[in-house]
Amino acid sequence: MPAEQTAVNINIIKLPYRRGTFTHLANTYAKFSLEGKIGLFGIAMILMMAIFAPLLSVYPPGKITGGSLEPPGPDHLLGTDELGMDIWSQICYGARMSLFIGLAVACIAGLGGGALGILAGYLGGATDQLVMRSVDVLMALPSFPLLVVISAFMGPSIFNVIIILVFFSWAKPARIARSQTLSVKKNAYIIAAKNYGATPWYLLRRHILPEILPILFVLIISITSYAIVAETGLAFLGLGDPTSKSWGMMLNYATGFRSIYFTPYWQWWLLPPLAALIVLLLCLAFISRDLERVLDPRIRQEGGS
Amino acid sequence: MSEKNREVILSRFVITLLVILALNFFLPRMMPGDPFSTISSDVQGEDVIIMTEEQREYYSHYYGLDLPLHEQFVVYLSNLVHGDLGKSIQYKMPVTDVILLHLPWTILIVLCATVISTIAGVLLGTISARNRRKGSDRLMMTGLIAFAEIPSFLLGLILLLIFCVFFRIFPLAGAVTPFAHYDSILDQARDIAYHAFLPIITLALAQLTGVYLLTRNTLITVSTKDYIRTARAKGLGEHIVWTRHALRNALLPVVTRTGFMIGMLIGGAVLVESVFRYPGIGSTLRTAVVGRDYPLIQGILLVVAVSILLCNLVVDRVYQKLDPRVDE
Repeated sequence: MPAEQTAVNINIIKLPYRRGTFTHLANTYAKFSLEGKIGLFGIAMILMMAIFAPLLSVYPPGKITGGSLEPPGPDHLLGTDELGMDIWSQICYGARMSLFIGLAVACIAGLGGGALGILAGYLGGATDQLVMRSVDVLMALPSFPLLVVISAFMGPSIFNVIIILVFFSWAKPARIARSQTLSVKKNAYIIAAKNYGATPWYLLRRHILPEILPILFVLIISITSYAIVAETGLAFLGLGDPTSKSWGMMLNYATGFRSIYFTPYWQWWLLPPLAALIVLLLCLAFISRDLERVLDPRIRQEGGS
Repeated sequence: MSEKNREVILSRFVITLLVILALNFFLPRMMPGDPFSTISSDVQGEDVIIMTEEQREYYSHYYGLDLPLHEQFVVYLSNLVHGDLGKSIQYKMPVTDVILLHLPWTILIVLCATVISTIAGVLLGTISARNRRKGSDRLMMTGLIAFAEIPSFLLGLILLLIFCVFFRIFPLAGAVTPFAHYDSILDQARDIAYHAFLPIITLALAQLTGVYLLTRNTLITVSTKDYIRTARAKGLGEHIVWTRHALRNALLPVVTRTGFMIGMLIGGAVLVESVFRYPGIGSTLRTAVVGRDYPLIQGILLVVAVSILLCNLVVDRVYQKLDPRVDE
């Protein structure tokens, strides 16, 4: 009987922490600045564009559906490229590509790196040494030139691009997760919980993860933009997947066209992917800055006024 | 303490260098296929071996490919030390020569961009910090931070479209006017500056925000210190307080940042040069990638990576010299 009583009491104490996810999200949204809200709106639009690409575009992106290099008109909303493929549908499907690569890399690197960091911080000893020394070396490596060389040798495919980008971006989340774990681990309430017989899994779930997840979430957004930029850069250099039509590949084809700058073609071939990329990156940046401010004021380093 | 610190930095440098060398060496050897099957077949996946087993062994021995991997690695390292990076397939000349031919252009734009972004960043940062919380400060903060999110090559593409394609003020490609005849050195310098202007501005703009934010925030921290109040109390003019007392103390992190910036700029130059068809090492990398000129790709990687590492190493040393507190 007394044992049950305690359980009930604990539940009552826990209540404030168990707010619904929805209210939590709404609160976070309410704290966003105007820029952050614009960013969220922009990302929502691009996501819709990616999800409903087949409905939004009349033509499939990889089929020849018109004359070569037609200017924008009623038939082709943004004109066609040199092979006669519709540019608007390439933009819609390209959103899929860029978002998919960005999010895939960010989730794998953020969660995987975070898990490694927590493990290193929690276990300490040899595991910690191994993880941290690899992180040190990775952080010191110049990433872009190495990206170019590795993808040149591994061959262009979406899968390879994702693997290489993950390889270069897990270090930061690992480092931050480790230092957070170390600082959380020292707290008296963790030691108390341990003395009461809490298992490592319980400690992780109830105490360590809630502290670290918000920070990891912010990092995941910034890795997403890093991955999108890196993929675009690689595609621009000619190292993207030739079968994919990402925005970077569109830039590559357009700038690779011999006399693009002497003809009016750049207006509808080069400008749309360029504008789309810039809008996407700005929206991501706005969101990540606001999230950083709202979720965790501790990791804000720059811009403190 | 200082000795130990130096050792840590040096050992980290050596390990990173070894990782790069190892990647450079093992990557091509890990890939499927070998030089003889690619030499003797046109179609991928179809290994027509024209050579007899004897010939194959002969060439394998000739190129040292029959040695155990670790001995091959030693040979590779000793070639590197002698400055031999192999032969470029496209240019039909030693990789070292190709790199030396194009490296000066990259060094030119990277150094100019570093100088410009540092000076402009410190200037804007000081203005912003002095007008803290006023309209101009807010405006600059928001504008420059948003600006920093655009990667340098997309920025370059925008500048190219505006100034070269739409207004036709600047040239579309190259580092000098082809077949130009110069009357004087001044004339030649003007032509080079004219061609390098947009790439330099692009790179400088991409790094500007970092320097700006760093200067602004350090200045704001420094301006709350006691010695600033003392300076004001003894009646110094506001301008002297800011330049002599605040800025001088705030510049230390900027110095460090400048060194790391050079490293980032070399990486960024790869893409920016491709945008402007500027004949530096970055454009060469793009041609090498398109032509699958592997020895050249590897050589460029090595030069770029080592120069970035060296910059970081030098920065660490300079910082220790400037700020003796680092060791404590």
